Amino acid sequence: MLAIVKEIKDVIKWRELLWQMTSREIKARYKQSILGYFWVILNPLAQMLVMSFAFSLILRIPTNAAGNIPYSIFLFVALLPWNLFANSLSSACGSLVSSSSLITKVYFPRSILVLSTIIAKIVDFLFANIVLIFYMVIYQIPINFNLLWIIPIFFIQQIFTLGLSLFFAAANLIYRDIQYLLSLGLLLWMYLTPIIYPADLVPSQYKIIFQLNPMAVIVNAYRQTILGGGVPNYTSFIIAFLLSLIVLILGLSYFKSREKLFADNI
Amino acid sequence: MNDTVIKFKNVTKKFSLLSQKTFKEFIPALIKGEETKKGFTALDDISFEIQKGETIGIIGPNGSGKSTILKLIAGVMSPTTGTVTTQGKISPLIELGAGMHPELTGRENIYLNGAILGLKRKDIDKNIENIIDFSEIREFINQPVKHYSSGMYMRLAFSIAIHVEPEILLVDEILAVGDTDFQAKCFKKMEEFKAAENVTTVFVSHSLGQVESFCTRVIYLNHHQILFDGDPSKAIQIYLADTENK
Repeated sequence: MLAIVKEIKDVIKWRELLWQMTSREIKARYKQSILGYFWVILNPLAQMLVMSFAFSLILRIPTNAAGNIPYSIFLFVALLPWNLFANSLSSACGSLVSSSSLITKVYFPRSILVLSTIIAKIVDFLFANIVLIFYMVIYQIPINFNLLWIIPIFFIQQIFTLGLSLFFAAANLIYRDIQYLLSLGLLLWMYLTPIIYPADLVPSQYKIIFQLNPMAVIVNAYRQTILGGGVPNYTSFIIAFLLSLIVLILGLSYFKSREKLFADNI
Repeated sequence: MNDTVIKFKNVTKKFSLLSQKTFKEFIPALIKGEETKKGFTALDDISFEIQKGETIGIIGPNGSGKSTILKLIAGVMSPTTGTVTTQGKISPLIELGAGMHPELTGRENIYLNGAILGLKRKDIDKNIENIIDFSEIREFINQPVKHYSSGMYMRLAFSIAIHVEPEILLVDEILAVGDTDFQAKCFKKMEEFKAAENVTTVFVSHSLGQVESFCTRVIYLNHHQILFDGDPSKAIQIYLADTENK
């Protein structure tokens, strides 16, 4: 816990750099493409359409939660946060390696490199949500105050993402295989998370796997609050929060223990 | 008041180079019981102190640990044993342009690099005109730096680094690039720092002429140790004698 407070103080001291790095990330990425930022919307939209076709029309996966919710929205609500998680993690994993020329030359808190990639992905995520909002208006999905739950849910997701990102970024600097391992892991993980299917379809003897998977709890919580207008399952929610916090503490302490050797290992 | 700005106390730097960078190489090596780490000593029990306002040259053959010393001062690396203490704002001029992003414009890169060197936005706002003027590339400043020539790149990077108002300036071989006019300009600026007396410069170069004319004290490194520390011309003499004897 103490390490987290210290790191936060360090990052605040270097906030100008964090800001510059984040805007570099955002500005540079789409500068050369014609559609520019439109890609962040187009990408999940295309993904959603094809997946809806495959899983709803062909495999006929039910949405359960409420009969009148179209599968495409049901999928999208979970897919967007999952994409945020997966994209953050995979780009954070390469963030130290791609800035190796900086790491060997100038001192600054290295966690800024990881943080700035994650923040840039959050900006993408916010843009991608425009489509979701649009969709929800068209289909007139009712919302209520329980929607505010998405704030703590999002917060937990970011704690979890940051913890894992710090770990993978530092580990990838030593063994570059980590990035390939991660993309395989993310692919499998996606199927073990109720994104394309509703959580209630999971047989009860396997429920434990989903309770211990913070992403499953998070994704399910988004659905319950946005589409169902209900509240998340408190027990699972608290377990997910504690697990995420542990992951962050472990991730950060691993990162800090390796940090001094980053320049040696590149 | 203590005027020591850089202090190395019994500093040893060992690199444990991983011989295998991927699992494919690592796992068989582990099974066969081969060594997975190779040790390499870059600096061996080195101690020295640098006072405020000094202009220090570090000379020695390739691989003698010159750049490692700069990296230890910059705080980028940590010593294996011993301690390195520094006081004041450090501006590394080590391989200029490390923080440049090719897709961003010159102006955007000034802000980015300034932040990397620890500047606040308002400090950069205050200095940006000076930086652009010094670099002499005003007409290209709003273009992406990927269109710059390497000379222009270097001008911009040098301009940023010297406008950080450094207290410790680390210079590594940078003046090898750029045209003669700009080189002269850089040296003039560094002479100003030297005269200012509150700036400490650590200068690593293979150009012994530059070192002799510019530095007030020279550290000669070889075989990972300090073989001489003091008068520039004497240091160079010993270094040259060592090279000839080989």
